[in-house]
Amino acid sequence: MLRIDRRFLKYFDWPLLILLLIVSGLALMNLYSASYPPSPWGMPPYIKQCYLFLMGLMGILCILCFDYKELHFWNYPFYIFIIILLLLVLVAGNSAGGAQRWINLGFFKLQPSELAKLMLVVTLASYYSRKEEDKGYSIKEMVTPVLLTGLPFVLILKQPDLGTALMLGIIFVSMTVFAKVRWQTYVLGVVLGSGAGVFAWFNLLRPYQKLRIETLLNPAKDPMGQGYQILQSKIAVGSGGFRGKGYLEGTQGHLHFLPERHTDFAFSVWGEEWGFVGSIVFLTAYFSMLFVGLYAAMTARDRFGVFLSFGVVMLIFWQAVINLLMILGFLPVVGIPLPLVSYGGSSLLTTLLALGLLLNVRMRRFQTGQNIEKMKQK
Amino acid sequence: MKWSCYTNLEELTEHDDADLDALKRRILVAGLVIFCFMMIIFGRLWFLQIYKGDEYRDRADNNRVRMREIAAPRGNILDTKGREMVTNRPSFNVVLVREDSNDVDELLKKLAVALDLDISELWGKLRDAGSKPRHIPVKLLEDVGWETLAYVENHNQEFPGIRVEAIPARVYHYKNLAAHAIGYLGEISKKELAARDLEIYTGGDLIGKSGLERLREPDLRGEKGSSSSEVNARGFEQQLLKNEEPLPGNDIQLTVDAELQKVAEDLMDAGEKAGAVVAMEVKTGRMLVLASNPVLPLDQFVGGISHKHWNALLENKKHPLINKVVQAMYPPGSTYKMITAMAGLVTGAITKDTVLYCPGHYYFGKRRYHCWKRSGHGAVNLKRAISESCDVYFYQVGLRVGVDKLAEFAGKFGLGHKSGIEMEHEKAGLTPTKKWKKKKYGKKWQEGETLSVAIGQGFNLVTPLQICQMTATIANGGTQYRPQIIEKITDPDGNILEQFEPVVIDTLKDEQRFLKLIREGMEEVVQGKRGTARKVRIKGMTIGGKTGTAQVVRLKQYKHLKEEDIPYKFRDHAWFTCFAPADDPEIAVTVLVEHGLHGGSGAGPVARAMLESYFFERLQQAAEAEKAKGE
Repeated sequence: MLRIDRRFLKYFDWPLLILLLIVSGLALMNLYSASYPPSPWGMPPYIKQCYLFLMGLMGILCILCFDYKELHFWNYPFYIFIIILLLLVLVAGNSAGGAQRWINLGFFKLQPSELAKLMLVVTLASYYSRKEEDKGYSIKEMVTPVLLTGLPFVLILKQPDLGTALMLGIIFVSMTVFAKVRWQTYVLGVVLGSGAGVFAWFNLLRPYQKLRIETLLNPAKDPMGQGYQILQSKIAVGSGGFRGKGYLEGTQGHLHFLPERHTDFAFSVWGEEWGFVGSIVFLTAYFSMLFVGLYAAMTARDRFGVFLSFGVVMLIFWQAVINLLMILGFLPVVGIPLPLVSYGGSSLLTTLLALGLLLNVRMRRFQTGQNIEKMKQK
Repeated sequence: MKWSCYTNLEELTEHDDADLDALKRRILVAGLVIFCFMMIIFGRLWFLQIYKGDEYRDRADNNRVRMREIAAPRGNILDTKGREMVTNRPSFNVVLVREDSNDVDELLKKLAVALDLDISELWGKLRDAGSKPRHIPVKLLEDVGWETLAYVENHNQEFPGIRVEAIPARVYHYKNLAAHAIGYLGEISKKELAARDLEIYTGGDLIGKSGLERLREPDLRGEKGSSSSEVNARGFEQQLLKNEEPLPGNDIQLTVDAELQKVAEDLMDAGEKAGAVVAMEVKTGRMLVLASNPVLPLDQFVGGISHKHWNALLENKKHPLINKVVQAMYPPGSTYKMITAMAGLVTGAITKDTVLYCPGHYYFGKRRYHCWKRSGHGAVNLKRAISESCDVYFYQVGLRVGVDKLAEFAGKFGLGHKSGIEMEHEKAGLTPTKKWKKKKYGKKWQEGETLSVAIGQGFNLVTPLQICQMTATIANGGTQYRPQIIEKITDPDGNILEQFEPVVIDTLKDEQRFLKLIREGMEEVVQGKRGTARKVRIKGMTIGGKTGTAQVVRLKQYKHLKEEDIPYKFRDHAWFTCFAPADDPEIAVTVLVEHGLHGGSGAGPVARAMLESYFFERLQQAAEAEKAKGE
């Protein structure tokens, strides 16, 4: 299965790798500032993140050794494994702030819900690429993907981790719309979706989750409660101005006001210290990575490759957009990290593995294409 | 690896490019969506950073929000009657927030001049803070007086970065009363911090270091509150935005009676005695007095004990740091004779009428073992043997039952193992057996050693609490209670969270019928004509007790000396343990005076004063009744 081919090097997506390294480097630099001054106890976050980044790069290398199409098979053991992990978290997880999200592995705490996002992308890509439907998927055909998404969704919602659960939903919707469904399916989906939303609001959402959403609608109502974080994040980013306050000079960031300034709110530290110019430069590099990813989807020569690359791009894109819109005060605080930038081992590893798949698809684009050529000749 | 994708290859590659093209058109749409979001984000950045940039910059400069922790008042500690023993008062610390000061050195110099302080001490505090985040306050002065407080508050504009912080400090209403049981607080150490939940504790927090303050830390500590204030660029708080009040800790009501404890400690203190006084309710096991002298100077620990004071405590020859109620072990001396008597009676080695002759000494092997009364007691029965504490009688009883039986009965009355009281580092004591000696010294047990053990000397070691527990068990007719020190725990609103009931460890069955006899012997000790504790008698009440002398050393060179001339550290320890009233005992009191020479004279008066205080009202009524009768 592992066949070394000179074309691998030729077709390797160097621009994507370079963009990844630039973005990650800047992110680590930002993390140093966000956790500055270093706490006298324990390993500083940026060092830990460095180790995990190197681990992730090795993970990418491993992924590149295998043909991504083998995921058609591996997808199922992978799926079951993640479900078991999610169950384990519910039974024996470490809790933080009332939610059970982690399995303690000693050197770092694994958050299986992060891996679940990537797992869903692979699973749906595998399903949709196998079952092809010109007119779009019918309601009956949607049962399997809905169930495949629903199981991890419910398990994550139970932790409770509303943000990550919604993320799974968003990935599902993006990939399903991308695969095309019939209009009847859309209608049913919208009806059921809004019904579930209303039901959830009255029966499932916990008070703090409701508060967050209500705060978004009227942030001025309670500047020190739930709106506090958003307001402070806006002040941090806004006070950066055109040029920013300079590296390690952000006053907002170094006060105690943002409890999660090196995790979910990492980018507000960047915005404060580097200003408008720095933010545009950084985000341009970040989004270029996504566009290059979409290009990989364009050039993939088989359906699975297209779905896989598209799913990976959506996975990173939606998290980034939701996180940034939250930091800039457009969305409630839902606990979605900015991939590659926020501190958090599981998120970093998942994102790097996902990008590894993207590189893989791009690197092997000649193989299937040639096979098609051969088939056509026959 | 045939199972892999290649089986699917044909299926996958059969579809024409048209389908892929349709997908790719949708990818373009997705690209457009991503681009739109990117533009929205860029637009928003422009709006926040450029269009409103100046406004937000002002807000960041002038209206920074700072969150601060508010320490929770610790729970109060009350005595059994609800009298406040330990509560809290506000205390004021002068702290420095380094982030708010442009020139910390200059600031400290100015402060040192203004308040007449030693600048090097301030620098030392700053150095200790080291690498802590700069917005975390550094304590410069702790528990300052009103003058300093007023000065700093009035001149705060001159000292940017200097602030006054109010935190609760402990108040000890009875000074150092029951200091060992209550314990003291101190700043949390790095080691403790590493071992604990970082969500609850942060550096600089106070934490219980000993006694109940330590053992009941989770109950007492409460929950921190927090306040968020807007501060301007110089660090002055402009406006309080949010204030979450701290939740005070739970109150602990002890079984200890503060007034009775005070009697004990004052008497010990007045005689400059070192030792322990323990009192227990015999029918519940509730501890009324747990005194260890010299007491710990609790007030010196408030705001951190100084090196000088700490060293003085360490070097004090009377060991104030040791809780002598449970952490010090002494030979029980003659208080052990009740155990020997019980062993003799239950095993049948003696009966209540067995008469043994005491000529003042007893020959065993080649040695001559003395009775404390050199002239001898003559023919004695058990009751007299107890009341006059005849050594020769108990030598013989000890020989008849053997050392292992003695240890067995000592164990039944609580000697030789921990009682389980809620105090730290409780010692188990020692009840020697043949097996124990073999294991410990590798030597065979000498029968002569049994003689020493039978009168409570030799290898025997007990804590004052164990002797009190033993006395209580004898007094209440054979029920052994776990010594209880906490009565109940209540939340700040007064709701009871935990109510502690007496716990019976063991009920003695075989021994029960002989207990009355032992009690009668003990009654003779106090009430009898020739009892060893006649001085303890109280008018209007009968008391049962037993004196004891624990030998520290037996040195020939001191034999000819008068007792007062023996160096302090070689003098014998004095025991006295008793119960009252003798006919229906309610309370057991045990007194140990280190190097106090004689039980009757050294320890007895303390016990007597305690009983007088405890039964004060009843004794007065009895006296009045008698007076009325006389008239």
